[in-house]
Amino acid sequence: MSTYRYPKRQELFRRAAGVIPGGIYGHFSPATLVPPSAYPFFTARAEGARFWDVDGNTFIDYMCAYGPMVMGYGAPHVEEAAEAQRRLADCTTGAAPVMVDLAELLVDMMPAADWAFFAKNGADVVNFAIMIARDATGRDKIVMIEGAYHGTTGWMQGPGHHGVIEADQHQVIRIPWNDVPAFEAVLDRHHGDVAAFISTPYHIPAFADSQMPAEGYWEKIQALCRRHNVVLIVDDIRHGFRLDMAGSSAYFGFSPDLTCLGNAMANGYPISALVGCEALKSTAARVFHTGSYWFQAVPMAAAKANLVKMGEINAPQVMLTRGALLFDAMVNIATTYGYDLKVSGVPSMPYLRIADDESLMLHQDWCAEGTRRGAYFTPHHNWFISAAHTDADIQQTLEIVDEAFKAIKGKNLPIEC
Amino acid sequence: MIESLVKANIHLYAVMRNLPDLVANDPVAARTVARWRIGIQFVVWRGPAATLAFDDGTCVFERGRHGRPELVLGFISPGHFNRMMDGKGIPLPLRGFKHLGFMRHEFPRIADRLAFFLKPTEAKLADSRYQAVNTRLALATAVFAARELALFDPVCRQIAGRIRDGAVLLNILPDGPAAHLIFSAGDITAGLGDIQRPMARIDFRDLSVANDFLNARLDLFSAIAGGDVAIRGLTPMITNLTLIFDRIPGYLGR
Repeated sequence: MSTYRYPKRQELFRRAAGVIPGGIYGHFSPATLVPPSAYPFFTARAEGARFWDVDGNTFIDYMCAYGPMVMGYGAPHVEEAAEAQRRLADCTTGAAPVMVDLAELLVDMMPAADWAFFAKNGADVVNFAIMIARDATGRDKIVMIEGAYHGTTGWMQGPGHHGVIEADQHQVIRIPWNDVPAFEAVLDRHHGDVAAFISTPYHIPAFADSQMPAEGYWEKIQALCRRHNVVLIVDDIRHGFRLDMAGSSAYFGFSPDLTCLGNAMANGYPISALVGCEALKSTAARVFHTGSYWFQAVPMAAAKANLVKMGEINAPQVMLTRGALLFDAMVNIATTYGYDLKVSGVPSMPYLRIADDESLMLHQDWCAEGTRRGAYFTPHHNWFISAAHTDADIQQTLEIVDEAFKAIKGKNLPIEC
Repeated sequence: MIESLVKANIHLYAVMRNLPDLVANDPVAARTVARWRIGIQFVVWRGPAATLAFDDGTCVFERGRHGRPELVLGFISPGHFNRMMDGKGIPLPLRGFKHLGFMRHEFPRIADRLAFFLKPTEAKLADSRYQAVNTRLALATAVFAARELALFDPVCRQIAGRIRDGAVLLNILPDGPAAHLIFSAGDITAGLGDIQRPMARIDFRDLSVANDFLNARLDLFSAIAGGDVAIRGLTPMITNLTLIFDRIPGYLGR
């Protein structure tokens, strides 16, 4: 099996670094890939579960655009709906009727949704949720989980990050995941001051195993929130529609007041949503939050078509089943080479690491060897699987996995610089 | 108050501690101290303390108070010590009055030489020998200052709280120098040289790339992506450590 080279990528990156901060910024920054030399930086085209880089290399994609791709790149049902809407109107004066259709669809699909509000990115709706919680309660403080990611706004980032000032952190209290007594202690210490508890449905820290909720965790958190009049916000942006079409809170059996949605909604079209309970609807109406492109009709039409199709095929179940098959097989291959491959989280968005490799350097080498052979694996972040990953994709992935383990077995790979 | 203490710690434990390296790597500095035989102790009230020993061309730095040095210099506060480091304050001799002349006339020659290497300019860096010494000293200053910041600066303590236990290695290819920081249950140790089995490592392609990084002239993200810098392991340790590094100039006034 040959390994990829990236001469055009390198040239394009040189140009990028000349005119763009960091060359490529944010979560797409190649600096997060270890080693970057093993990875493509630029995508030339994509189809189904695969993308092609500027050097013509093909990758089976296990990052799925970091979540948005859920039904395959260029999925016809999404593209046709988007194109039909584009012919009518997209960014215009006045909201499009499809916005109402989409809101009704979400309200019908999700027990936690009595209304829906649309924006572009996850951070848009997370910030809106916080504003609603503060307005509804007249309180300032937000409780979140240590190591959780809710976007890049000042309060969401940890202290000391560039551009974050101390005051950004004053109203944020961080507690460990799965620690109900810690939440109780915060509620006691800051009695009457806590506006909201925000968390992902299960914990997905970077560079660490995903952690599922302990038995009764969400039930207890929900009860505490109700007792103390704290708004319960679920950041379902990454997990949403990869566990259950009714939302991840339905999967885990609890009822949040507000749910932030995004990634998987529209198969790559830019849209996010905040859905909430009836009691907060009038508050949501009076908190002013908007953006120039938040009423774009094409992403709404794409989302509507995508969510309907996902519901028809029960896409979360497809991804969970297919993911379980793939990752069980990968664990078995690892065993034959003497490695213990740990898979945590749900199979539609698992976190993988090689056990007994505390620094993750071996795991990084393995992911790099897989990527060089055509299966895009990242070592630091949870992976994603889509409903478009075919049996052939999975079979080819397993062959690559085998080769990648063979490549790292017994090797002391050099530092690439 | 705490800022003054952190600054004094950095001045003594990160900047002044470079003197042995300077003497070992700069012929001019070596010649300057060639005939010195004197121990000097710096004692800051409610602050850092360290002992410097010069002995026929060698220089040894130790944290804390050691032995019976010929000259003991006292400072009534971290601020007092910082003023001396900025050239505006005079220490109180607690022992060795007869050596005050040395302190006034001889010691500034080596202190000035250190400042020469720790305050680079484009013109100075064009000289490869200067660049090599500057890189070596800046690397050491960075890791030892980072320790003080991570333990005592309020914001850096929070950043350090996110760093897992284990060692972070900073290495300049192909042949060093290298430095490291070891995080262990709330304690932090800084050191020079390689270390086995780091949890994270950052390797610079060469001295020039490392120099740009240490003098805050490098877009680290582009350098990693472009291959001038390689990071491996638990890279959040490096991310958080660079956040601490980025706060050093705030104390050293660069």
